[in-house]
Parts: sequence; C-alpha cells; structure tokens
Amino acid sequence: MKHGRYPFIIGFLIVPVAIYATFVVAAYLQAFQLSFTNWRGFSPDVEYIGFDNFVKLFHDNTFWQAIRHNLFLLLFLPLFAIVIALFFSFLLNMGGGTRGGRTHGVRGSGFYKVVFFFPQLLALALVAVIFARVYSPDLSGLINGLLHQVGAGPVLFLADENLAMWSILAVLVWQAVGFYVVLFSAGMGSIPTEIYEAAALDGATRGTLFFKVTLPLLWNTLQVAWVYLGIAAFDAFALVNIMSVDRGGPDGATTVIGLEIVRNAFDYAQFGYASAMGVVLFFLTITFAALTLRVTRRESIEL
Amino acid sequence: MSEIFKPEVDRRTLLRRAAAVGLLATPAVSMLSACVGSGGDKDDNTDKPAGAVSATNPLGIKEDAPLEVVIFNGGLGTKYATDVHIPSYKKLFPKSEVAFSQTEEIATVVQPRFTAGNPPDMINNSGSKLMDQGALVQAGQVQDLTELYAAPSLDISGKTVKDTLIPGTVEQGSFNGKPYVLNYAFTVFGLWYSGKLFKDNGWTAPTTWADFTALLEKMKGKGITPFGYAGANAPYYMYTVILTSAAKIGGADVLKNIDNLEDGAWTSDAVKQAAAAWAEVGAKYSNKAFLGLKHTEVQLQQNQYKVGLYPSGSWLENEQAKDTPAGFDYQLMPIPSVTAADKLPVTALYAAAGEQYFVASKGKNPKGGMEYLRHMLSKAGAIGFTQLTKTLTVVAGATDGMEISPGLTSGNKALGAAGADTFSFRFDTWYKKLDDELRAATNELFYQGGTADKFVTRMQKAADAIKKDPSIEKFTR
Amino acid sequence: MTNLMSSDSTVTPPGTKAGPRHTTEAGRAKREIKVFSGFAHIALAIWGLTVVAPLIWVVFASFKSNTEIFTHAPFSLPSQISFESYKTAWTEAHVGRYFLNSVFVVTLSTAGTMLFGSMAAYVLARYKFFGNRFIYYMFVSGLAFPVFLALVPLFLILQNLGLLNTFTGLILVYIAYSLPFTVFFMTAFFKTLPNHIAEAAIVDGASHTRLFFQVMLPMAKSGLVSITIFNIVGQWNQYLLPVAIMQGQGAEQKWVLTQGIANISVSAGYQANWAALFAALTLSILPMIIVYAFFQRQIQSGLTAGATK
Repeated sequence: MKHGRYPFIIGFLIVPVAIYATFVVAAYLQAFQLSFTNWRGFSPDVEYIGFDNFVKLFHDNTFWQAIRHNLFLLLFLPLFAIVIALFFSFLLNMGGGTRGGRTHGVRGSGFYKVVFFFPQLLALALVAVIFARVYSPDLSGLINGLLHQVGAGPVLFLADENLAMWSILAVLVWQAVGFYVVLFSAGMGSIPTEIYEAAALDGATRGTLFFKVTLPLLWNTLQVAWVYLGIAAFDAFALVNIMSVDRGGPDGATTVIGLEIVRNAFDYAQFGYASAMGVVLFFLTITFAALTLRVTRRESIEL
Repeated sequence: MSEIFKPEVDRRTLLRRAAAVGLLATPAVSMLSACVGSGGDKDDNTDKPAGAVSATNPLGIKEDAPLEVVIFNGGLGTKYATDVHIPSYKKLFPKSEVAFSQTEEIATVVQPRFTAGNPPDMINNSGSKLMDQGALVQAGQVQDLTELYAAPSLDISGKTVKDTLIPGTVEQGSFNGKPYVLNYAFTVFGLWYSGKLFKDNGWTAPTTWADFTALLEKMKGKGITPFGYAGANAPYYMYTVILTSAAKIGGADVLKNIDNLEDGAWTSDAVKQAAAAWAEVGAKYSNKAFLGLKHTEVQLQQNQYKVGLYPSGSWLENEQAKDTPAGFDYQLMPIPSVTAADKLPVTALYAAAGEQYFVASKGKNPKGGMEYLRHMLSKAGAIGFTQLTKTLTVVAGATDGMEISPGLTSGNKALGAAGADTFSFRFDTWYKKLDDELRAATNELFYQGGTADKFVTRMQKAADAIKKDPSIEKFTR
Repeated sequence: MTNLMSSDSTVTPPGTKAGPRHTTEAGRAKREIKVFSGFAHIALAIWGLTVVAPLIWVVFASFKSNTEIFTHAPFSLPSQISFESYKTAWTEAHVGRYFLNSVFVVTLSTAGTMLFGSMAAYVLARYKFFGNRFIYYMFVSGLAFPVFLALVPLFLILQNLGLLNTFTGLILVYIAYSLPFTVFFMTAFFKTLPNHIAEAAIVDGASHTRLFFQVMLPMAKSGLVSITIFNIVGQWNQYLLPVAIMQGQGAEQKWVLTQGIANISVSAGYQANWAALFAALTLSILPMIIVYAFFQRQIQSGLTAGATK
C-alpha cells in the first residue's frame, strides 16, 4: 500500500497547485505588496509608504458606505432569496392534495420549476443590461411604462437614493430564487414520506409540517444555500457597475467595495490604495466566513 | 450534500492557517516586485527606432517601424481613424505596419499594458473609462509633443503644426507648461434647442436670467420639460453649465483658481451664486426622473419635442443624427447671464479642445505616434474627421467654406460672437477624483434638492483633500 | 427529530373511535386543500409572470423602433415586424460567434476545473502527508480574495507567459479561479465517502490512480454534478476576467458572450440603438432557454442528487 504513495500524491497535486500558484496566489501576493505602496499603476518604480493607505482608508467615508452596502447585501440577499424560495418550494411540493396520507405538489409544479429557473440561465451582466431597461424612469422602462398605463408613476428605482439599493437587491433576488426553488424542492422530495404520513396522522397542519418537519430536515441544504448566496452577494459589482446612476450613485447610494476598488485602481490610478481596500475586504470576508461556519455548525448539532 | 458542509476546522485554526500561508509565502514577494518593475529599464529613447530626417519625414521616423494605435469607440466612432488617418499615414510610409484596435473601455484594456511596459504607440484616451491622464504624465509615460508642434504641417505649406491650430490648443493639453496631450476635437458648449420648436411658439433665445426663467415658465405651461440633463452618466454636462455661469459672474479666473486648487476657490461668491441659480432651475423646471436616464435617452426626448433646453457640446448633433426628425434644426444659445453685473458678456462661451490623443513615450515607436498625430492635424485629416463626425477640429479654418450642418453653423456663429471671451477648465483631466465628486455633487444640487452652500462646501472639501494628498501630482496653469 | 419521535408514539391506532369523525374531517380538509391549492397557484403564477415578463418584453422591444420603445406601452405589439435590429445585432454584436466562444471556453474550463479540483481535493481529503494542510488552506483562502484586485498583476503574469489574448490563457485562469470553491467542497465530499470500499479495492491490488478514477470518482458523482453546475454558471457569468485578458489586436474575435453584450450595450447607448440591444439580448437568451428546455430533467436531477446525498 505504501508503494507509489508519494509519486501519486505529487502527481495529483502538481498541476492544480501549479495553476493555482501561478494565476491566483502570485497575483494576490503582489496585491498585498502593493497595498503598502503609493503605486499609481503606470510607473515601474514602487515606493513603500507603510500603513498610510490603511490610515487613509479608515477616514474614507465612501469606503465605509461601500462596506455598509456589502453587509446589506450579505444579509438581505440570502434572507429574501431563501425565504421566497422556501415558500415556493413549499407550495410546489406540499400545496396540492393529500393522497394516501401524503401531501402532493400542486399540479403543474414541473412547469413552474422550469420557468422559475430561467433567470439562472442568464449571465449577470446580461441581467444587469435587461434590468437597467426594466427600471428606466421614462416610458421606455417596463415597470414605469406599465405604471403609466394605469396613470401612476414614475417610480425612480435607481435614481432615488432610498430605493436604489433595494432595486439592486431585487434583481439579485429575482435571479437567485429559481435555483433555490429547485434545490429545496429536491431536498423536500428526498424527505421520506413516512415521516409526513406519521405527522399527518397526528393531525399536523400543513404549516406545522413545514416548520416542524421539513425545515429541520432541510437545514443542511439551507446552509449550503446561505454560502452560495453569500458568494453571489459579491457579484453585485456587475449589477452596480452596469445599472446604477453615475456608477454607484446617486451620490454613492449603491456603491460596493468591488466598485470602489475598480474605481480607485483604474479611474483614479491609485493602485496602492485600491489594493489596501482589497486587503481589508479579504480579512472581512475571512472573518465572516469563519463566523458563518461557526454559527451554522452549532445550530445544526441538533440533527 | 448534507455532510459536505460540516466544517472540520474552527475559526481560529482557519485564521491561523490562512495567516501562516501568507507569512510563508513572503519570500516570493521580492521575486514578484521584479514583475511590477519589468517595464523599467526602457526609459531612454536610445533603443527607439529612428530614421533620417527629411522634408517628407521631419520627425525622422523609421519608415518600416510598425505603429499601434488604440481608438476609443464612442460618439465619434472609429471610422475617422480607419478611413482617413491611417490611410494617410500608410500612404506616406507604405512599409509601416499600422495595427489598429478599438475599445469602449480604454483603461481596462490599455492601462495594464503601460504597467507591463509595452503600451500602444498612440492612444485616444476618452470615454467613461478613460485613464487618469495626470497620473500618466506623472509616471513619465507620455511623450512630450514639442517636437511635433515645431514640425512643418503635412499639407499646409509654410506653417508649423502649431501655427495651424486654434490658439489655446497647445495650452489645453499642457501639464505644468509642457505639451503632452493633443486635444483634437474642438467643442463649443452651450444650451441646445430646436429651432423649429422655438419658431412655432414664437420664442427667442433669452440673454438675461429673468427672460430665461420666463421662457422656462412658458415651456412648462406647454407641457414640455423646460430643462434637463442625464444624471445617470452625464452630470458632466451640467457642471460645465454651472461653472460656465460662475465664470461669467466672476470672470475666467474663477475657473483658473479651481484648476490650481486655490484655497476657497469653490466657496467663492461666483460659484455660490451660479450654483444657487441652477439649483432653482433644477427644483422648478426639470424632471427628477432624468437623474436615472442616460444622455442619449434625454436627447431622444428632446428630439421628440419633450425637452426644451439641453446642455451639451457641439458633438450633440452628430450623436443624434439618426433620431432627429426632419426640420428639427439644432441651435445653440450661450448660457444667459445670471446677474446684470456679470464680469463677462452674455456671449462668452465655454469652448475648448477636447478628446485626448497622446503618444506613449515608452512605446515601441514614439516618433511614429507623433507622426500619426501630424496626419490627424493635416488639413485633409481634419476635413475627413469633420465630415465623418460632424465635429470641428483644432485645425483652424480647415473646414471653411465647407457645407456644414445647422447645428455646427450655429455653434460657429456663437464662437464668432464670443470673440476673445472663451474659457475652459482643466481640473477634470488633471484630477479625475475631483471630476467624480463634482458629478455626484451636481446631481445632488440639481435633482436631489441640494443647496448651493452644501455644494460649494462639499467641493471645497474634496479639492482640499486632493491638495493634501502627496501621492497625487499637482498641476497649475 | 426528537419532537417527531415523541409524537409518533401518541398516534391513535386507526379503527376505534376515529372512524366516523375521520370522514367529516376529510371533507373539510378537501375544501381547505382546494382553497389552498388555488392560492398556491395564484402565488406561483405571479412569480412565474415576474420571471417571464422582462424576457418577453425584451423580445417585443427587439422588433420596435426607438420611437415605439420610448412612447408606446411596454407590451404593445410592434407596428411592423422588422428584423433590421437582428441584422445589426448579428453583424455588429457577433452574438453567434461570442456565444460559441463562451460555450467552448466554459466547456473546457469546467472540465479542467472538475478534473484538477477533484484530484487535488481527493489527495487532500484522504492522504496524510507533509504540507497537506498548508496546501488546503492556500486553496481555501482564495475564496476570500476579491478578483478585482488581481486584475493588473494577472495581466502581467499572462503577458510574461505569452498567454494574453488566448483561449488557453483564459481557460487556465478560469480553472485557477474556480479551484478554491471546488477544492473546498470536494474535499469535504471525499471525506464523507466510506473507507471500507477503498480498503477493499486496495486489497485487490488497485493502484492509487485506479482507485481514484474507477472507485472513488463514481462514488462522488452526486457531489461532482452539483459543483459542476455551479462552476458552469459561475464561469458562464464571468465578465471581469475576460475583459482584462481578452484584449489587444484581434481580440474581438475571441470575446465571450458577456463581453459582446456589454459592448453592444455601450454602443447602443452612444448610437441610441435600443432595438439592436434588445435583439442581441434575445439572441443570447433564446439558445440558453432552448438548451435548458431539452436538458432540464438532467439538470434538475443533478441538483437533486447534490442536494440529497
């Protein structure tokens, strides 16, 4: 059993590690290095300025605004997407009649699942372009065009600083829900029917069934969903960059860290500063990930 | 998948291990720094191709050296380069290979190439994702164009390139007194309206503020949005209006002080008065929904006679050519005087060379890049550009006697009336961050119920921050 | 679960008194179900509409003129069916070519990601050796890095390797940036696989490599499928990386779909040609929906397998 062990391990690791080290690790190390410089992206000379960038960052209101928006998405995207998806998969799987003690999905649930999945097929950049048009404040916008038909409106989705972030969130939710409906439906379908039968005989209502049986048994799937969505929340950059008023506006109302990094690096040519933002983001993410793992693990012990 | 998510580490281990990865990898950093600096040693021009200087080749370029140009693909298109300027260059130097590429995202595409030390030779730095020109100059990446301006013109005999240009062009592209950038398109900036709409209603272009607001009132009565700009991507147009008013109230030095980051430049009375006047227009005579629109959408509404006055540069007519109904008749009016005591007359105009073209000093063929600019600045090159883009160039009088469109005619007329009273500002290209801040502040002032006081304080703060930032090189004029 | 057990024990045995009461309750339950399922249908239909409306609207608008788009009701029929905008989209936006480029790149990069990702994950999950944890955390820490930050260094690296503006470069970069996620999940997955089968195979004299490909990989199928789908979606969506990498002379030939759409979105803005934008959107949405319609059963069962393992 020992023979060929190390050659095998090395053989299996060498290609993935080489690819990863070359394109990811090397790039990020350079970014870490740059965060201690005032490099502007054009000159070959690099001047080290210690922690100046981080000090500046601490006093940068826009940066804190961006962090708040990231946290907003990190909290609300998983929350809304999961609640809505759970609601629909509940209807799809348990909304129909009971036959032989087993609750069935509503008729046509297959069709609904197919349709709900559509947004997942579209690249986010494409979704952003579509919704920039959907939200348009004039008649050419889908929603305001319809509102105009009934004599209402216009609603300034992206131009209203109080609505803009919610409008971005809505698009992310719109895209995500279908995937999780399918995921949760699959999870629900795999719960043994005997459990439901037993509980139904006991006189449990649909609601009780859902909260007392389905939800606890889906807990692990929910965790996976939360992590997926947490990662997806960082994709908001594509939406903000393409859709928002004045890139991250109005007046910074929709800016996210990704956008601030790109803006500082490529627009203001302050690569050192932008790298420092990325480093802070890195540590925030790692903290969040660790916390999430910790919290969800504790809660899942009961199962 | 249920077990997949059972993490087998706790947070502390995870963090500790991640930190260890970072530390152990540090030796690699020194290796990498060589990477950033890889373009470093090509500073001097000794290895640049050069050829013999002659009458047809005054810059002494190497005739068979390849040339690479990158053109921004926006409102002007790229046809003027592929159909006019490149053929002109190729005609004179048939042995040279000219590589052309276009992009909507100049910074994303070109910036890494500067870092890597192999930039294209000639770049049209424009669009919403343009590179910070000041930073480029600061990094020594931009070719000094003195040699080009001193060279004889390609087809206007007996004149140097500089002699053929509209006065102020060279200065417009200078950083601390050295000419680095060619601003090629000549733009007149003002309020645009439909000659037909005005004629049908018996309106005339106002000159005083009272007449102006009276006209806006009449438009409002007709159900037309009297005045508006696109907040989503063109607040730049509106801040040019506000600053034009400020310059008219307090004289062109108001803008010079702003450019030079003088203390209190933004909080001066002139800027405050201008901001207050326009904030009122925004509150009373515009439509907040425009904050969410892009420039072409507002322009389309104007073409449909739903918007009265629209602030823009003389490129507007070309941009809208496809959607302008017959007989619309684009006309330009200078911005009305805010007070009777304005230092500059009502005819004074924001007029400047715009659209930046520069040569990479550390490219493979900087001389060829300059030669390319010489072709752009030839009479034929200028005429070709104006024909394809309906935009004037900085080549003085190149299109005299040409049949041009009503909008351009009207712009030319306003320019004539302005005489010496034209002005412009530079801070937007010098300090991109200040430009962005002003965009946001302008939207706030005009569409989001801001006040003049808030506007000027905010801008002063942003300008002071840049002044204090040692990593940003300062320019003066 | 404990809840359930205790309630189980108190279930009334069927037969006895429950008989007659049961029928009336069943009748009420039936009515309740009808009401409930009616309500369910309404809620589901509303979301279905929310999903489909923007897509149908895009198709409608692609046939309209600018004036119609800006002045008519959103779902009004176009005054005349004009394919002009499709011609523009096809010739100027090259939607067809970019679509195929995307398919090509994502196929190879997802295959590569899954192969290399599961190889690394397998070794990291089931073999003890010096440096194991170090390599594992090196991969996992990549999950926390923002990609924006890597753009410029990445450009330099690719350029030094001569991989700039090549499909090979793009595919390698896609693989590299998908590895953290893939390794993280697959490692956890391989850890859950039972030991006795692997041990039996080794007793039979199987080599480590054969064990992996012929025994362990098939056993991990459900995990592989769901991570594959996640990677396909992620790589199909990539926008930043290709913009930074696929550039230079002739790069337009090699763009992926997201770049093409972003490009026409910008130029539609400059030329105010919204119909062409909508046509390009339609052209890139339709194939996806058609492909999905054919394979939806497989995709959904793939997800099912992943979710219920």
